[in-house]
Amino acid sequence: MGLSSTTNINESTQICVFDLKRGQHEGQELDKILFFYPADCPFSTQLSVIGLSEGLITFTRIFSPDDACEVIEAEKHSHVFFEAEPDIWMVMIIEKNKEAEAIWRIDALKKVLNELHSLFVMFHGSIRAILDKDPGGGLVRIHLYSFIMDYLSDFLLGKKLQLPSFRDSLKERGTIQMLTVGREAAIGVQSLVRVVESSCAGNTPCNSLVLFQDLLVSTTLPPDDTVNLFTYAVLRLAPRALSSATSTWSYLRKGTTASQVATDPIFENAGSGIQASRDTSPSRQGQRHHVPRPLQQGKWSKGKDGFLSTDIWGTQVDNLGSVTPTVWLQQTEERVYVCVYQQKHLTIILLVPVSSIVNGEQGISIVKQQFLENASLKILKVEEKLTRGWGGENAYHVAGYRYLLSDSDRNISRASPPGKVTTLTKDSLLALNKLREEVDLEKSRTKHDDLRCEKDLEVCIRARNNAWVIARVTRGKELYMVLEKADETLLYASDAVEKFSIRYCDGAFSLD
Amino acid sequence: MESESNSSIYQNPNPNSLEFAKEDHLKSLAINAAAEEEEVVNSEKRSEDVLNGSMNSNCNERVPTSENEEQVACDSNNEGYREGVIGSMNSVEREEELIVEKELQRDSTIGSVGTDVFEEVGESFSPSADFNEREESKNEEEISNNLMSEVVRESSTSDVVRRENSEIEFDAQSNPSSSGYVGERGSSSASTVSDEIEEVEEDGNFDNGMLAQQNDNSSNGVYDSASWVPGKRHDEEDDTSISWRKRKKHFFVLSHSGKPIYSRYGDEHKLAGFSATLQAIISFVENGGDRVKFVRAGKHQVVFLVKGPIYLVCISCTEEPHEALTGQLELLYGQLLLILTKSVNRCFEKNSKFDMTPLLGGTDVVFSSLIHSFSWNPAAFLHAYTCLPLAYPTRQAAGAILQDVADSGVLFAILMCKHKVLSLVGAQKASLHPDDMLLLANFVLSSESFRTSESFSPICLPRYNPMAFLYAYIHYLDVDTYLILLTTSSDAFFHLKDCRLRIELVLLKSNVLSEVQKSILEGGLHVEDLPVDPSSRTGYLSTHLGHDRSGTESPIRSREVNPGIGGPAGLWHFIYRSINLDQYVSSEFSPPINTSRQQKRLYRAYQKLYASMHDRGIGPNKTQFRRDEDYVLLCWITQDFELYAAFDPLADKALAIKTCNRVCQWVRDVENEIFLLGASPFSW
Repeated sequence: MGLSSTTNINESTQICVFDLKRGQHEGQELDKILFFYPADCPFSTQLSVIGLSEGLITFTRIFSPDDACEVIEAEKHSHVFFEAEPDIWMVMIIEKNKEAEAIWRIDALKKVLNELHSLFVMFHGSIRAILDKDPGGGLVRIHLYSFIMDYLSDFLLGKKLQLPSFRDSLKERGTIQMLTVGREAAIGVQSLVRVVESSCAGNTPCNSLVLFQDLLVSTTLPPDDTVNLFTYAVLRLAPRALSSATSTWSYLRKGTTASQVATDPIFENAGSGIQASRDTSPSRQGQRHHVPRPLQQGKWSKGKDGFLSTDIWGTQVDNLGSVTPTVWLQQTEERVYVCVYQQKHLTIILLVPVSSIVNGEQGISIVKQQFLENASLKILKVEEKLTRGWGGENAYHVAGYRYLLSDSDRNISRASPPGKVTTLTKDSLLALNKLREEVDLEKSRTKHDDLRCEKDLEVCIRARNNAWVIARVTRGKELYMVLEKADETLLYASDAVEKFSIRYCDGAFSLD
Repeated sequence: MESESNSSIYQNPNPNSLEFAKEDHLKSLAINAAAEEEEVVNSEKRSEDVLNGSMNSNCNERVPTSENEEQVACDSNNEGYREGVIGSMNSVEREEELIVEKELQRDSTIGSVGTDVFEEVGESFSPSADFNEREESKNEEEISNNLMSEVVRESSTSDVVRRENSEIEFDAQSNPSSSGYVGERGSSSASTVSDEIEEVEEDGNFDNGMLAQQNDNSSNGVYDSASWVPGKRHDEEDDTSISWRKRKKHFFVLSHSGKPIYSRYGDEHKLAGFSATLQAIISFVENGGDRVKFVRAGKHQVVFLVKGPIYLVCISCTEEPHEALTGQLELLYGQLLLILTKSVNRCFEKNSKFDMTPLLGGTDVVFSSLIHSFSWNPAAFLHAYTCLPLAYPTRQAAGAILQDVADSGVLFAILMCKHKVLSLVGAQKASLHPDDMLLLANFVLSSESFRTSESFSPICLPRYNPMAFLYAYIHYLDVDTYLILLTTSSDAFFHLKDCRLRIELVLLKSNVLSEVQKSILEGGLHVEDLPVDPSSRTGYLSTHLGHDRSGTESPIRSREVNPGIGGPAGLWHFIYRSINLDQYVSSEFSPPINTSRQQKRLYRAYQKLYASMHDRGIGPNKTQFRRDEDYVLLCWITQDFELYAAFDPLADKALAIKTCNRVCQWVRDVENEIFLLGASPFSW
């Protein structure tokens, strides 16, 4: 087995998931650990990581019972904490290294953990639920192992984990990027959605998401579920994800998803030598249970009928085709089938409640047939219309500005195209990273103080390199901006923000 | 597997370990109770000694310096102790003695350092040695006895100050290490008036002190709230008390073996278990080859600072940036060095379980006053000092006589009024760091006994030389104004006394002291007085700080007419820091920044702004404009100065910028009066 591919992949990052309810007796501490990356890390190290984490969680609760430890900053490492579920913690430890540009924003890293957990829950349900089903922990370990390793494969650059750094300061994980459409196109999309959702038999309420390229066009799901499905679609379903490496453009991800070296053998390596002594080792469990790996790369393909298919969830008994995946929706608290149809740049995700389909796969194929009959023509039209109106990769570039605009109420963000952001100097990005960190703190304080009172903040900083770094927070909306070639006066910078606000944000950040 | 050794950290924060500590505590309490009778006897002796003693008696517990080899032993028996106290370094004249007596009587009710010291010293020599200590290791007792014998003893014969190199053997009974004075410490220190509120519910409306302050000094701009009570409070609390856990800002000093040295709230000894937890966290991370800087949990931050064998920790939910809290821990450590020098490390080298608390006996008030200054004194984060505004010739006159003295072998001569410098002179090539000045002023001002008599006390300036003691001659010239003469020589008392007499004479002759009183009354720069066009007003030097107070439009009066408006363009306050001079000037507080609560909030906003502008990785930035619900803040940093200004949150940006320019011009126009110019270079 290709053991070497997982050993010492990158010692500068550690990620662990543990359950504080488990292993409470001395000598049983190992039982707490549900996941540890890198897997070949000696138990002693794993235990010391978890020991410190647990120690600080307990310690900080003395003073802050409601919000336990969020981050430990040490000279050489940052430990980022995320309480994914009650008593179930995810901790990421990253090495600081100025030369290697390993300068992070804690909130951005926390969002990685958050995204990871949200996606996990969408596919597998909550960690606690799996633990309740299998108190030994074997089942949850194998689920977490395969899922997290597949998730991390997107961050692997060669053999190093490339986590979001200060260079990603003009991005916001866990948000949706929308396509701006004209009035006519919008009406087209709307009627398409109506037709698509009517494909379900009878009057079962279906939901749908429509994406153009990596951008969301329409959703009938509530924000949280939309974010999860959108994230998954961009990662694995959208045209660019399917034909990985043909295009390098995405709002969310770097183009370099190709890291096949590490992805394939990962699963087989799950229980490498050191874990052989535990019968909870993922590999043995893996043989006993079939665990779908929704984030496995290169597993989705487009069929002749236009629907995407994958064997991730296995194949049907009679080999008629692959099993249709299901996901768990937070809002409605139900499982739904996921049918994905793709027409060139347009991706339509139809979500059909499992409860509404009586005869499983057969029922789904009826829905698909219905879908094709009802919507094919409309889809073609809408796709054409959107393609015509599409401004290309730099559609949302605003000359002179490097910006990130986000709306936390609706989980939406828009930013300068990554290609444009790379023109900024390192100093500007570092200054922005620092400013964002300050704003993150302010926001979290407001959150603690009073939920109703929303932060209103304006900060303009002229950095050492003369760039203006700007943050505006108002009524749940945030705007971050770097102006490198601006005049030296503060008024000029404010004017620039004002113009931007009027032109692109409906005056949301205007002062009056 | 190695797992066992590494999983140890979970044991420490777990309640079991705390239980242990409590149990042990109960034991020692029982022992202490038995020893109480002895205490009473001691205290009688003490009251006799009070006549001659002063704060400085705690010098005889100082650690020796490595430079000057004067290792003086601390006496172990009561007689020795008394001698030490009587022989403290005061040359108290007969009339003064009476005053001292009165002062101390007063002190015993309000709780001052003077009496505190006695408690401490007395306890150290009480026969009730700590039970646990003995249980743990008998060796330790011996070692600590030896250590104590190295400790400096001050003795003087006929008012002459001299240090002796005597090594006196300890009697085994008088273990000076943490004898049980559980709960006793607070008895003399700090009354418990209304401190319920202190930092617990800062944002509550019921802060008596603050309300009281609203009435007075609104235009006076006095930072330090009159209501603030120095010294240790809430002695009865420990980490199991809800009230203790809710305190907004804790400071802890502990040794690397986990022994508590200082805690802002609660009794150190009751916090032994908690202290061990802090130590466990630090050493656990250290064992992993790293060093923990801070931990964040919700609104709370836990900030760590490791200084050799001494660990400092701040736990705060005050929203101050962690950089600021680290800076405060640095100052706290500096204050510790000021009292003991860095050579205290040697005690830990010899015995890692060394108990430092007796060495710091009675200095609670110094630390608590320093911590208090972290919420009002901009010097704490600006690393600059400020001057009392004085007419240029007046300051020159003061400087000249100080220079005279400095030429006669005085290292530094400092004339101060409260926290503000009047004049300052250093011997050739010697320079004084603003942080050292902050610590020195805090040390002098927080110790009640310095006010009552001239004193000669060993102190260490951590930025000047952390290893060695200097000797400070301290004398109050009037109620606010005091003179500090620093020298390297331990027997310079009489020389410095002469110097002081000369200085005092000159200051009286040239009316400096009355000018000082005038300046205190008039205050410094008021934002309301910001000239419309500063450069056009050149012939104003005769008037105070460029505004004409003789006319009917007296600034004070106009402020009364328009309360709550502040200066032009909504300017509420500013701080101007001159980089070359290492000095800052801060405008007086005007309405609406006239309650101490508002002042504290503004202070914290400036602190945040400072941290944001001076990021280590990318800073310093050049300009910052920040508007939130409370203020518009503007910061402007150039090679020569830093300006921090606070405006009404609705202030117009363009006008605010213009106003900042005017402030800078104004400050430059009056710099002769508000800054100490031409002082020896403070280049570090």
